[in-house]
Amino acid sequence: MTVHTFDTMGTMVSLRFAGVLPAAPVLHDVNRCFDESDRRFSLHRPDSELSRVAAGHLVLSRASAELRQAYTEALDWRRRTDGAFTPHRPDGIVDLNGIVKAQTMAAAARMLDAAGQTDWLLNVGGDLVGRGKFTTSPWQVGILDPVDRSALLCTLMLSPGRSAVATSGTAERGEHIWRYTRTHTGPDAAYRQVTVRAADIVTADVLATAIVAGGVHQRDEALDRFDIDVLTVDELGALTATAAFQTAPGLAPV
Amino acid sequence: MRRRALALSILSSTAVLAVGWQLGMQAQTQTQTSSLSQTTDAADSAAPATTGTVTPTATGASGTFAGTAAQTRFGNVQVQIAVADGTITDVTALHLTDHDQRSVSISNRAAPVLRQQVLAAQSANVQGVSGATYTTDGYLTSLQSALDQAGL
Repeated sequence: MTVHTFDTMGTMVSLRFAGVLPAAPVLHDVNRCFDESDRRFSLHRPDSELSRVAAGHLVLSRASAELRQAYTEALDWRRRTDGAFTPHRPDGIVDLNGIVKAQTMAAAARMLDAAGQTDWLLNVGGDLVGRGKFTTSPWQVGILDPVDRSALLCTLMLSPGRSAVATSGTAERGEHIWRYTRTHTGPDAAYRQVTVRAADIVTADVLATAIVAGGVHQRDEALDRFDIDVLTVDELGALTATAAFQTAPGLAPV
Repeated sequence: MRRRALALSILSSTAVLAVGWQLGMQAQTQTQTSSLSQTTDAADSAAPATTGTVTPTATGASGTFAGTAAQTRFGNVQVQIAVADGTITDVTALHLTDHDQRSVSISNRAAPVLRQQVLAAQSANVQGVSGATYTTDGYLTSLQSALDQAGL
């Protein structure tokens, strides 16, 4: 097992390979993939393309194809989640950071696939996508318990068709989750933490964000529309899980 | 869109709710020429429904009407409504089949679960950790880093 790590997008990337590290150009391309996204989309960089859009110095219709593509995909997810996921901040600023990280992870995954890499696990700030196996068994991912962060709620495998896991939480509100306030209560009360396992990382990440924002209703909507596994933790620490999670090591049906 | 929203407000069971959304997303055109046609044989509704005559009355249409079949990720589905005097009295899913044409139920619902045991990252044999990221909190990346260094 080998590991390639680097800092980007304000977090750390951990890229593991079951065997030896790939050739330097492959790793270099992965790094560049993330760094280019950060330079283009970061609102923490006043010189990024998205910051220039936010400042009104660049109109969207004249922005790069990459930015317009990311925005289009974000709008499509807004439609598919009935607005629970949105790239628009309440002040009207376009903020694509709720989706860009996952899009970049997907791009890096395509890059590794194209380079012939078969057994790897990419973790960017707690969201993961993987291929193949770790030694003889599939990659195992632990889900942190938001109530006791020194413990894991459960572990689950990544497999073909379920190769991506993303977790979102209420602490992220104010960044990309705007729809509900923390004091919102009732049957649609938002969750403290939501984990989604899906076939691809963009679906997993966007839907985890949408369910945190939209609560029980959005969870059920997402389960009806998408082929995903979901694990939720509410404000009191109570859990709900779909079938695949109900028997995950660490959890047991009620 | 308005029509779908209206339909959704009427549908009651969650299973049918799911169907309603999928109908909106992936409506599959069958040989029926309208989205609703009257049927007299619910069991045979995968074939184009028998088109009956809607008899207008002073108070509105009555009868049962089958929607077009639609593909969903759960299989093919067809919804039937019962109407009395212009008011929907019942909504049922006529067909919900998997790819082998067996009837299926929508079962991927979230249910309560319990923490069964306390798992620790260092002993649970995990290669990665997933959790919500906190802006000023390096806990998650630090834990992953520790796992990386330990070669776990």
